[in-house]
Amino acid sequence: MIYLDNAATTRPSSGAVERAACFLGENFYNPSATYGGGVSAARELAKFRAGLLEHIADPAKFKLVFTSGGTEADNTALFGGARRGNIVVTAGEHAAVERSAAALKSRGVEIRVAPIDQGGGVEEEAFLALVDANTSLACVMHVNNETGAVNDVFSLSREVKRKNPRTLFFSDGVQAFGKIPFTLPESIDLYAVSAHKIGGPKGTGALIKRRSLDLPPLLFGGGQEENARSGTENVFGAAAFYFAAEETFADLQGDRRRVSSYRDLLWEKLSKELFLKISPEEGSPFILTVSAEGLRGEVLQRMLWDRSLAVGTGSACSSKHRFSRVIAACGYRESVLDGVLRISFSRETKEEEVLRAAEILNATAAEFKGKI
Amino acid sequence: MEQVVIIRYAEIHLKGKNRGYFERVFTVNLERALRGIRHELHRTSGRYLVANFAPSETEEIMERVSRVFGVHSLSLGFETENDLDSIFYAAKLVSPKEGSFKVETHRGNKQYPLNSMEISSAIGGRLLSENKALKVDVHEPEHRVYVDIREQGKALVFGSFEKGAHGMPVGTAGKGLLMISGGIDSPVAGYMMAKRGLSVEMLHFHSYPYTNEAAKEKVVSLAKILSRYTLTEKVRTVSVTHIQEEIHKKCAAELNVTLLRRFMYRIAERIARREGDGCLITGESLGQVASQTLEGITSSNSVVSLPVFRPLIGFDKEDIIEISKQIGTYETSVLPFEDCCTVFLPDFPAIKPKLSFIEEEEAKLDVEALVEEALSTLERISL
Repeated sequence: MIYLDNAATTRPSSGAVERAACFLGENFYNPSATYGGGVSAARELAKFRAGLLEHIADPAKFKLVFTSGGTEADNTALFGGARRGNIVVTAGEHAAVERSAAALKSRGVEIRVAPIDQGGGVEEEAFLALVDANTSLACVMHVNNETGAVNDVFSLSREVKRKNPRTLFFSDGVQAFGKIPFTLPESIDLYAVSAHKIGGPKGTGALIKRRSLDLPPLLFGGGQEENARSGTENVFGAAAFYFAAEETFADLQGDRRRVSSYRDLLWEKLSKELFLKISPEEGSPFILTVSAEGLRGEVLQRMLWDRSLAVGTGSACSSKHRFSRVIAACGYRESVLDGVLRISFSRETKEEEVLRAAEILNATAAEFKGKI
Repeated sequence: MEQVVIIRYAEIHLKGKNRGYFERVFTVNLERALRGIRHELHRTSGRYLVANFAPSETEEIMERVSRVFGVHSLSLGFETENDLDSIFYAAKLVSPKEGSFKVETHRGNKQYPLNSMEISSAIGGRLLSENKALKVDVHEPEHRVYVDIREQGKALVFGSFEKGAHGMPVGTAGKGLLMISGGIDSPVAGYMMAKRGLSVEMLHFHSYPYTNEAAKEKVVSLAKILSRYTLTEKVRTVSVTHIQEEIHKKCAAELNVTLLRRFMYRIAERIARREGDGCLITGESLGQVASQTLEGITSSNSVVSLPVFRPLIGFDKEDIIEISKQIGTYETSVLPFEDCCTVFLPDFPAIKPKLSFIEEEEAKLDVEALVEEALSTLERISL
């Protein structure tokens, strides 16, 4: 099986899982316990927290709160950060943000949605125009999970602060963390990351927040994570996340260059008669979204699986929810929306896999086209 | 004294000389329903008794028996010796703690020295003197204690009746092939025919990769729930993928569904004849969708000669939903896995297709070869 659905989840790094396994074994203690075992678990957890944060932020300015994943981090940011008045989001946001915003709307918060361009990136001017004196929160995802479009959240956050210094700026960085080298500027208040997109386990993520920011928690209870997120800490998850990040950040630039060449190679090899490129040129090298126009992405996905290639999709056979909300917002016609496939790479992807994947994609799409 | 489940049967007593046959099938069905639970099943005149089971299995036994067609009612009670002391002891266990009650005696054994009235008053009197919170009300009692004097020195004592599934024992009316989709209707249709004694085999058409595995698994889950009534052991699946592709490519789009249904009927009939199923069963309800108009049904019906049973033909959707909730298939039926891909759904399906037009369009296909090819994809999934 050639696995090119890494934006959905990555295969967990066996090294990371192995090194973290002791927290499911001999070091199983509750980090809140005051005896030796608990104290040492707490010490390890602090190391993982600091180590993860250091990859992308200055620990003097930011804190890292472990969560159960990207969705919880997104929910915490939205429900904690939104106040009366309005919040501004983009049409490209992940469902965890979009659905949270919808829930906030029913609680009386005005939701303003900024349009996205054909590549899935936010229309910056339109976005900034929506921010006003009553905007409590502005959300722009760092890398769009469906197209790979990269939003310039650093400059956008500065612009937002210029318009309204009290507006919190949140960015969902699930597809950016471990894929793009950067350091968080202080104009970003909240940033969400997830472990299982970089070789860590599912069920672990984090919300990174500006140190001086006091955000109400989503979960109440034993007061773990300095009251920011109650619930016994997932030490194994944090450890595996830390070790996976260590591997990921070891040569991020090199991996990026290589994966970038694979993405270009795949696109070069794909039949232009069958496939249309949706991902923007300057998007994340880890995501190549295409459309086999006129075909049904979900069906193609199953045919590809039967030919040993796993890829993602942006459409479904069901008559409800047939199209991806996000790609539809990019402004494509229905026949293009139907055929969307998301091919996504990891640092583990090999060149021969990419070449073989191109062959399978071309042959399968051609065969499908001949059938209907 | 022993705890027993008392089973009374429904229409079997109407069957005169065939009664022995009906009872044999009924016995086999009860045993199938109770498979996996330690028990003994005894037949006495006009009753079945489930005995020698673990107390922890009581509820499961009651539930399973209540779903067996042919069961009129069932009661949880005791089988005792028929002397008054033993009957009284059992009656105490099933009698209420307080409130008004009445003892009702049925004397199957007319040789018994006391008559029904005398037994009722003896047992009632003793219950009354033991428990001051009880009072007798022979006209409108809140509770009843039933005593049934049987042969061979035995009596049955119980406190209530529960309604059974009624109908006829599955298998006594022959065997039919249900075309089961993932929807609400077809499981209900299968239930209704099984209730009339038909043994129900199941056939599902899928179009992988246009439909997904989850849709198939949903059908298997439905079949499992339905088989609690129908006692079906497997579901057959056939792929109609290539047929759909051919129709889509070569025929008028508005006839997509009409033509596909004709293929489904043909395939179902071939399998039914091969397996000895005497009829086809579908969940069609007149006018519910484009293919279930009189013209649509005429079109599909005209390609087969076996009788097609459509027990829901005159039912409103609401009535069908009510039955599906009652038999427990509704929640699974409404799970969102579609059994047809939007690729093949025409914008405007023909509502009143003319047979001549259908046949003209169908002539563009190699019907026989496609049917044979589909039959080669037949799979059996054990339930």
